[in-house]
Amino acid sequence: MRTSIQRSITEKLRDAIAVDAAKAAAAGSRLAGNQGTSLPGKTAMAVSPDILAPLAGQVRRKIIAVCGTNGKTTTNNILCTMLEAEGRKVVCNRLGSNMPAGIASAFINAAHPGGHLDADYACLEVDEASARLVFSHVKPDYLILTNLFRDQLDRYGEIDITMDLLKTAIRMVPEMKLIINADDPLSVSLAEETGNPFVCYGINTPAGHAIEETLRTGEVREGRFCRKCGALLQYDFYQYGQMGKYRCPVCGFKRPDPVYAASDVVLSEKLHFLAEGLPVETDLKGLYSVYNLLAVWSFLREEGCRLLFPDADNAVITGAGPRIRPDTTRFNEILSHYHAQFGRNETFCIDGRDVVLNLAKNPTGFNQNIEAMLEDSRPKRLVIVINDNSADGKDVSWLWDVDFDRIRDQSIRAVTVSGIRALDMCLRLKYDGIEADLADTPEAAIEKHLREGSEKLYVLVNYTALFSIHQYLQERTRK
Amino acid sequence: MKLEIAHLFPDLLNLYGDRGNIRCMVMRLKWRGIDANVTEYRLNDPIDFGGTDIILLGGGSDREQQLVCERLQKTREDFSRYAEDGGTVLAVCGGYQLMGHYYETKDGHMEGLSLLDLYTVQDSPRLTGNIILKNESLPYEIVGFENHGGRTHLGNVTPFGSVLYGFGNNGKDGREGAMYKNIIGTYLHGPLLPKNPHVCDLLLAKALDRKYGISGLSPLDDETERKANRYIVDRFL
Repeated sequence: MRTSIQRSITEKLRDAIAVDAAKAAAAGSRLAGNQGTSLPGKTAMAVSPDILAPLAGQVRRKIIAVCGTNGKTTTNNILCTMLEAEGRKVVCNRLGSNMPAGIASAFINAAHPGGHLDADYACLEVDEASARLVFSHVKPDYLILTNLFRDQLDRYGEIDITMDLLKTAIRMVPEMKLIINADDPLSVSLAEETGNPFVCYGINTPAGHAIEETLRTGEVREGRFCRKCGALLQYDFYQYGQMGKYRCPVCGFKRPDPVYAASDVVLSEKLHFLAEGLPVETDLKGLYSVYNLLAVWSFLREEGCRLLFPDADNAVITGAGPRIRPDTTRFNEILSHYHAQFGRNETFCIDGRDVVLNLAKNPTGFNQNIEAMLEDSRPKRLVIVINDNSADGKDVSWLWDVDFDRIRDQSIRAVTVSGIRALDMCLRLKYDGIEADLADTPEAAIEKHLREGSEKLYVLVNYTALFSIHQYLQERTRK
Repeated sequence: MKLEIAHLFPDLLNLYGDRGNIRCMVMRLKWRGIDANVTEYRLNDPIDFGGTDIILLGGGSDREQQLVCERLQKTREDFSRYAEDGGTVLAVCGGYQLMGHYYETKDGHMEGLSLLDLYTVQDSPRLTGNIILKNESLPYEIVGFENHGGRTHLGNVTPFGSVLYGFGNNGKDGREGAMYKNIIGTYLHGPLLPKNPHVCDLLLAKALDRKYGISGLSPLDDETERKANRYIVDRFL
């Protein structure tokens, strides 16, 4: 049981009004046909600015924050799915609305009128730059950091600035345990700099064709220099981006041995790997999925969740080296029922055809999405939608750091681009020798391909295009 | 015909799509039947200035720029000889700052190459956003994106363009970048060259003229480039 927050009667009354007003606002907004993912939170915070604290204080077991450049939403949603499969009640900002108002909305949606919350866990995806604001109200027990890549430069300046913001936030909760990707030197240095306790996960063997591929393309690596001493890191192998087995030849900084390690990754129709030597199998695509699943795995192991120990009585089952070995049967079963959420490799069936929607908002994410798409060798069509609203990043230079020459693959029959920066995207493809046509709207682009061919259609979009296209594909599925 | 392009220190200076500038130069040469060879120089590689026609020096974070600054000091004489002899240079963001006399940050002082008569002082906030320039000798506007903490002040040197939209060198005097001989220094990335094919061709023409004595380039179909450029002009002006 968490320590509850002491509130005066007046404050309690105000909190109750805040929650009820927010619920009313959400209902009104839904009537008006809006998604309203951050509106309830905004309303409640207007009435009671620190409403998050008393709501989060009612969570019975653990609060987990999920941060990192890529994979936050998927990791958070799978974690939530696992905990719900344990029979737990979980608060979760499933739609990836990860600023303070979005997080407050998740709590309000879960709370009863009057502000009473019945929840065992809270799984909160948190925007790295907003973490300070969130952690001043909510004190998570764990923070999962997925990775740190270049993202949305004009919002944060540089990756160094993001890391400093995140470091400040983490230090606000010194007892919070970090779950860190050992293969990412930036995440590991950040963890070491905070002084918080941390535990690592990682992939112990090189997977796929990552080595030749990254050397050939010169994929942008943020973390190539040691954060401690500035020397060039040396790698035994890379997975992708700056992920891999690294060490600093000068000061001795190196990849820590992960407590929760994966090995023997096989990327094919289905994704296979061993987690702590035990078989995991999933329909999720791409090497990044292994990292997302390992992060979830690490928390389940730290927490000693029963689903990994179906036959255990109340033996000690938390942390590394439990007295009995975990079992992945139930884990795999839950995964097989897991449906990708909201534009994370989400598949729609429209007029008998598969349409796959994927969010791709930075070079690493884009490259990984292209890799995952090409794992499927069947003929396909492609729509790319690029916007430059502030949530996307107003600077679209990053498009030139994506390896689009990969999509000059013969399995890709036709490419259409759309969005506010469709012309930039078209130009980008021109310089990789790829002809693309322009569509006025993403919907028109999708319809064109549905009309012209029966191949599977992939739709790659950046952030602000996601919501409307998702809604459109949902409506189109129902027709 | 073949141009040798030197990309300096992409292992350190790789922010904001510098690869796009290289790609643009290579493709626009290739489409005209001219070969290009790109050499990526890592921090401590010896640089073959004599065999180079175009140098690209990009941007990086302050930490990485400091390492580059120390390295560049060792090439000072060779770099200067190359530039005075009409060697083509495109220096963007951090690379641009290092073409000047110095870059003063809150943490220290970085000595530049003094190839361009200018100096830079760090200030906040960062000057960030879309930017549009006019250079009277070019047929249409130059568009890009800027993101810099440094405020650059020009001495006796020609600006790259006058600012029609955005901040420019320092957000005050309406000027952006600097040009001297065949050096262009600018804060514009985005990246600079693909949406400004007239700037790309200007650099290529200078390099071809110096190496082979030919002036003028055959025209290309720039419809996509012009549209992408025009879109930014129409949206912000």
